[in-house]
Amino acid sequence: MNKVSVRQLYFFLACIAPVGKLVVMPVRLSAKAGNDLWIPTLLLYLLQAAAVFCVLLLGKRRKSLYELLCERIGSVCAKIVHLLIVCFLLFCALIPLLEQKLFVQAVFYDTLPSIVAFAPFFLFSAYLCSKPLGSEGRAFDLLAPISVVGLVGVLLLSVSNADYGAVLPLFASGAKGIFGAVAGACSWFFDPVLLLLFLGKFEYGKGTAYKGALFYLAGGAAVIFFLITFYGIFEGTAINQLFAFTKTSKYYSAITVLGRVDYLFIFALSLVMTFYTALPLHCAVESCLQAFGRKKYLPTILSVGFNLIFLIFDGLLDYHFGDVLGVVGKLFWIFPLFTLLLPPLLLPSRRSHEGA
Amino acid sequence: MKICGSLKKDVEAFKKVLPAEDILTFDFVSEKGLSFTAIFADPITDKELLGEQVIRPLLHYEGKACAQDVGEKITSPEKRTETDLTKLAEEVLAGNPVLFFEGMDEGIIVGTKKVFVRAIAEPTTDVALKGPREGFIEDIKINTSLVRRRLKSPDLRIEFLKVGRRSQTYVALCYLAGISLENVVKEARQKLKEIDIDIVPDSSYLTHFLSSRPYSLLKQIGTTEKPDIFCAKIAEGRVGILVDGSPIALTAPYLIVEDFQSSEDYFVPSYRATFTRLLRLLALIVAIYLPAFYIAGQLFKLQLFPVRLLLTIAGSIRDIPFSPSLEMLLVLFVLEVLNEASIRMPKYVGMALSVVGALVLGETAVSAGFVSTPAIIIIAFSGIGLYAVPNLLEQTSVLRLVMLLAAGSVGTYGIILATGFVLFYLVTAENFSTPVLAPFSPLIPKDLRDSLVKYDVGSLRTRPASIGSKNKRRLRHE
Repeated sequence: MNKVSVRQLYFFLACIAPVGKLVVMPVRLSAKAGNDLWIPTLLLYLLQAAAVFCVLLLGKRRKSLYELLCERIGSVCAKIVHLLIVCFLLFCALIPLLEQKLFVQAVFYDTLPSIVAFAPFFLFSAYLCSKPLGSEGRAFDLLAPISVVGLVGVLLLSVSNADYGAVLPLFASGAKGIFGAVAGACSWFFDPVLLLLFLGKFEYGKGTAYKGALFYLAGGAAVIFFLITFYGIFEGTAINQLFAFTKTSKYYSAITVLGRVDYLFIFALSLVMTFYTALPLHCAVESCLQAFGRKKYLPTILSVGFNLIFLIFDGLLDYHFGDVLGVVGKLFWIFPLFTLLLPPLLLPSRRSHEGA
Repeated sequence: MKICGSLKKDVEAFKKVLPAEDILTFDFVSEKGLSFTAIFADPITDKELLGEQVIRPLLHYEGKACAQDVGEKITSPEKRTETDLTKLAEEVLAGNPVLFFEGMDEGIIVGTKKVFVRAIAEPTTDVALKGPREGFIEDIKINTSLVRRRLKSPDLRIEFLKVGRRSQTYVALCYLAGISLENVVKEARQKLKEIDIDIVPDSSYLTHFLSSRPYSLLKQIGTTEKPDIFCAKIAEGRVGILVDGSPIALTAPYLIVEDFQSSEDYFVPSYRATFTRLLRLLALIVAIYLPAFYIAGQLFKLQLFPVRLLLTIAGSIRDIPFSPSLEMLLVLFVLEVLNEASIRMPKYVGMALSVVGALVLGETAVSAGFVSTPAIIIIAFSGIGLYAVPNLLEQTSVLRLVMLLAAGSVGTYGIILATGFVLFYLVTAENFSTPVLAPFSPLIPKDLRDSLVKYDVGSLRTRPASIGSKNKRRLRHE
């Protein structure tokens, strides 16, 4: 149960990871880069794909992250790095959690529900986190087709309303706009760190690393196509269209006759997003377990503890999503530190190991 | 306690071991003066056979007091000797008479048990328009013969075990040597041997002990009443378990996809089988989710309904005194009660009950304004939908209620979270080291050929990898 196959990781990279980037990120990108919103996304995806390549290459050594770190910097420092990773993952979880909460409140209810409406998510997340991380792999097998159906459905209902010429002229926002958008969207790109926790749980095969990077880029292509469609529909008003993937499909002509059939696809994507939102917390639990051992009740205690902390945050930050986004935006440099720097730093020890 | 060879003392000793009043003795003497005593359980021994095959030949016995010679005189094909009184007593309780005679320290067990069986008939829970119509009955010997008739292979192993301290019920563990995985057979055998229970009235008692999560909401052991399905499952590498006194056979490892398959799927064109399997899945999804979404739509998100439908619903629920969730729970409660009562009631009263339930109660409840017409339509459709996969009825009816409660309290997001819970619970569920959600999770592309889609029999060349088998090839092809 605690093993995953590389196919399951590919499913995650291509089908599940993109879903988290369709809610608030498009609005943030439109605000910074306007019609060039797809260019920063492409840049981020290319950088992250390189990091994914490095992480999957580390899988060749069939060791967990903790074992790799121990080999490189000793067990005490490895534990410290693991604690830092836990802090980073909890930091990463903040934006998806809050955006999902807002998404739920806005999309699933006609009137604003009480703040406890989102609380059952933490029950679900605590249950998920108490199970071995490898079981996520099996969930990816089921979620991948659901995600594809959801995304294809939303896109099919959206394309007819999009003016794809709206993304022209290219580079209209200039370098400042594009790099500002890169910095602003960094908080949605932490997938290589999630993958780090899967190290030692999969069998590296021929070409796993580059295939993984390609699958990640395939997911990126879907996100970019969605972003272009999104901007093609809303153009100048795109900055006001929070929860992007619920908005693009509602202008489809058949909806007046059939009702909001697009909700079927939105619900499918929401289900996938629920799992994706809980994943950083699950990885944080796994990180603690790798560093401090799998004691009997530790997974349950950690999963309940982390989710309880976020439940409190959820209550405290109920009306402060903008502030949180601002703070996270200022601390954007933390993300590349862990996602882009950490995996390549672990690679050299691989060479020395092979040399030995 | 052993037999001593003195007829009088042995019979007395036997009576002490088995003092029940329905255990009778019949004394007779051969022409040469050798004394015999036959001991048998009155209600379950075929006395006619006992007289024909044992007593009549022995009246003319002229040989010595030797078990082998006496045995040769007995014309019954089923006979053996035993020295232990306790074991002899067990045989008498099973219906096989025991024969004692003077000067011999062995008793002869004769297989003249009276068998009360109903005729082999088509099982009511698994009806097929095409394909075999035979169903298992309550007698384990007949059931094993039905299996043996279909699998005439020397590799078919039928291991008999006794389960139940008091009932001493025969349980047959069936598998194909060389096909079933040894660890699965070993685990099943071990689990059966470890069962320490008073009596085993039905095979369903054993499922608790064979499951790795005995208190799980979801099924972990497959069931069937049809020998053709039972044999097909064994041929795929599963182990089968037959229990004396039960027409329901168990199979393990169990995959959830099994319950979407019907024996008929293999006797109709593959496109038709695929269509009906997908229809069953769709019916089940609609049955579980339709009432929940109806409530969530009314309570939290009216946009879920198209405008015209919304207006119709609004017209119907205008004067209903209950909240949508309470109304739906009420209708569901009535449906469950009707369902339960109609199964238990005598046949003729049952028909009257259906009329009262469906027409009188439903019609008057709507006209009195207690419940709305859409609620009744939705619950009725949901009730029918659940029967598209009857083997999962217990589980799916609970799931429907869970979704209903989630929708009533948190709305659509509650339904999504509850679905997430169920999915994750399912992907982590394993029995006999086999994930119940295979071949979908973990994904085993080859096995998808006989899952919700059904390929032609010529394409099913290998046994399912989800179950695992020592011999993978099912079909040899040029």
